[in-house]
Amino acid sequence: MDPFESIKATFFQECEELLTDMESGLLAMEQGDDDSETINAVFRAVHSVKGGAGAFGLEELIRFAHVFETVLDEMRSGKLHLTDEVAKVLLRASDVLADHVAAARSGGQVDEGRTVGMIADLQGLIDQDRAAELGLNEDGDSGAVEEDFGFVPVVLSLDEPAADAPEVDVAALMAAAAPPPEAPAAAPAWRVTFRPKAEMYAKANEAALVLRELARLGDVEVALDAGAVPPLDQLSAEQAYLTWTVRLSGDKSEAEVREVFEFVEDDCDLEVTREGEAATEASEPDIAADDDASASAVEAAAGAPLDLDALLARVAAPTEEPAPAAAPAPAPVAAAPPAAPAQDPASLDVAGLIALAEKASQDHAQTQAAPPKADPKADQKAEARAAAGPATAATPTIRVDLDRVDRLINAVGELVIQQAMLSQRVFESGLARSSDVALGLEDLELLTREIQDSVMAIRAQPVKSVFQRMPRLVREVADMVGKKVRLVMDGENTEVDKTVIERLSDPITHMLRNAIDHGLETPEEREAGGKGAEGTVRLAALHRGGRIVIEVQDDGRGINRPRVRGIAMAKGLIAEDAVLSDDEIDNLIFLPGFSTADVVSDISGRGVGMDVVKRSIQALGGRISITSEPGKGSKFSMSLPLTLAVLDGMVVSAADQTLVAPLSNIVESLTPRAEDVHLIGGRDAVICIRDTFVPLIDVGVALGFRDTPLPPASGVAVLVESEGGGKAALLVEAIQGQRQVVIKSLEANYQHIHGVAAATILGDGRVALILDVDALVTTSRRKAPRIEKRMAV
Amino acid sequence: MTDADANIAEVSLCQVLDLQAAEPLRAELLALRGRPLQIDASQVSRLGGLCLQVLLSARISWAEDGLPLRIEQASEGFLEQLAAFGAPQINFEPEGAHL
Repeated sequence: MDPFESIKATFFQECEELLTDMESGLLAMEQGDDDSETINAVFRAVHSVKGGAGAFGLEELIRFAHVFETVLDEMRSGKLHLTDEVAKVLLRASDVLADHVAAARSGGQVDEGRTVGMIADLQGLIDQDRAAELGLNEDGDSGAVEEDFGFVPVVLSLDEPAADAPEVDVAALMAAAAPPPEAPAAAPAWRVTFRPKAEMYAKANEAALVLRELARLGDVEVALDAGAVPPLDQLSAEQAYLTWTVRLSGDKSEAEVREVFEFVEDDCDLEVTREGEAATEASEPDIAADDDASASAVEAAAGAPLDLDALLARVAAPTEEPAPAAAPAPAPVAAAPPAAPAQDPASLDVAGLIALAEKASQDHAQTQAAPPKADPKADQKAEARAAAGPATAATPTIRVDLDRVDRLINAVGELVIQQAMLSQRVFESGLARSSDVALGLEDLELLTREIQDSVMAIRAQPVKSVFQRMPRLVREVADMVGKKVRLVMDGENTEVDKTVIERLSDPITHMLRNAIDHGLETPEEREAGGKGAEGTVRLAALHRGGRIVIEVQDDGRGINRPRVRGIAMAKGLIAEDAVLSDDEIDNLIFLPGFSTADVVSDISGRGVGMDVVKRSIQALGGRISITSEPGKGSKFSMSLPLTLAVLDGMVVSAADQTLVAPLSNIVESLTPRAEDVHLIGGRDAVICIRDTFVPLIDVGVALGFRDTPLPPASGVAVLVESEGGGKAALLVEAIQGQRQVVIKSLEANYQHIHGVAAATILGDGRVALILDVDALVTTSRRKAPRIEKRMAV
Repeated sequence: MTDADANIAEVSLCQVLDLQAAEPLRAELLALRGRPLQIDASQVSRLGGLCLQVLLSARISWAEDGLPLRIEQASEGFLEQLAAFGAPQINFEPEGAHL
């Protein structure tokens, strides 16, 4: 991949995370959290998206992010207060921002009308308070972008010796010197010394982008010290020799300035000092005592507040020996670079300045937690940052290509199989269990298991990534159907394998749509029913019994059972005289061809019924069920395996085939007694287990391995339970034992087979099918509603 | 132009001057040392810090040799990036020397 493209891909990955952070912050704000750290977090996310977008020239995205960021900045500075209305606008803006990112990623288009409308809404928020002060022009967006690019482009004539440059530079300097409309005459400025290390470049970070990003924060004057650059024959192309000193004016906090260096801070030397403060701090006793001479140099270097006259004076003689007062300050952008750097006074001064600034910044770091000084707000933010620092530093993370993890997981899967095969061989060779080889193998097995667990943990992710997308969906669906909905989410940090996560989104989306469209009533209906106008939908994730359970619960009208039953009968899905429990009626909505919507709506009636949802969940080895209470709401529960890579199973044999039953389905196993087995209609068997009759499914027959069932009272019955709670007994010839198996998808390698969930390779190298217990149980139950009725009597 | 024209070395910079372009550029320029140099930067869309170093290093080397080094036809992107880097001087004109 083109390195640029790969950097871009990384940017979009980061965008996903940033958007997620932004949304969670906004949701907290919607709940009334107006903590400055929350607002800051949202601001930082939007700002980082904008910054990255700037590096790739994604103008549309920058344009929108800028306006968004401006509003957030207003909130940070306390000029705009958090209200319900503001939170809602911000949430919608976050949706639009996400659209922009998606469009930039795919190269698609965003809805221009929506963007413009959103920008107007955002500006409306600012206008409420101080549109004029902010100086957004009428169509503020475009102007804002230019303003945001910060540094004034300087026309350079490289042919001409610097003679022309000062003329050009006057404008830049004037611009820098001219007080911003509302700022005090002496605008505070930061002096940033940035010395990249070779590692920074090696990690595909670029000084150019960092400088450009810095220029976004305000007016900058960039001075380059190339004094360390050797001649070509001594130059190592990947070493870093340059140092930049940037004077940044504008009202930005140190945290904001440092944030620019967020991704490179470990790979560069960085000093950020406040121009005015640096001098003050430098004259504090501890530093001054260290080195009086250098302290005064810092004072001089830090310079007086921006002074137009001084600047003009400097411009007047820029290529001459700089006047002492001006010398330590970095030369403005157009100043001539040193011809013989080692002798250049300016560069020497820069080096001295750096050394001092290092000291000053260390000192500053030490005193950061001290009581507020000149700028209490900036200090407060710095403190917040410092407080947040250790927490983030405690959990370093790396970004790894998923493909690599997948390969590792596959390899470990093979290792597990190989290890099982080896164990089997050793067992077959007749070696004593206490032999060294056998003991060694046991250790190996433990180790393999541990490796497998660890590897799986690498791929495990919190469901947050999926859940985060849902608030937006809920807002949109609610808007579309004119209902008021509050989404409550629980257990976002529940972890599940990446393979499962990717496939959770569709079913959850559908269930949420269904809950809002069909489950919840309109505000009027709700009020008439004595409920609040706003409906609640709860989305929760939890671990239960080695599986992940996702619940979508609404407090709506519940399932209209007579109607569901009527439809199922009308469509021939159930027999007219079928006796069904409430649960069973509720679950009819999962039958293929069932749709209760009289009119196919835009929302849930997209031709995808709940049966499709159910099938897609089943394909994942999952199960879905619904419980409902009329007038009070419904709850969908889907349960999925934590991983699609390994499974704890019971190895059984049926009709000379070795099969695996997922352990999570198994309740107990027993040897059926002849008197407990009853044949219904001469063919379908049931077994009585502790006074309960359950269907007895001969697995060999059900899967077509043989035609004649096992004689009653032979073999072993394995009592299994399906997600819907339905029980059945699987009749097999023998149980071989419990084993962890590596799942190999049948769909991917062959095709779907009813009653078979997947396959695996056993220790002896043979392929064994993994039973789809749910499918087997469902088939037996669907076949036999009448039987149950008779049994129930 | 003078009769020294024949001796003038010319280099055309590639479009993207990033990490990967730095060493090839260094090698290319080093091979041309000892001759006046004209650099065509008209194709450059991206100039990174490492390649900037190479150019500055070339300037030092050419200055040591007392030979002129000159950027010809710089693209807008190149100039903008150079300005963002603090506008270092890359051209070198020894006194009395002409390309």
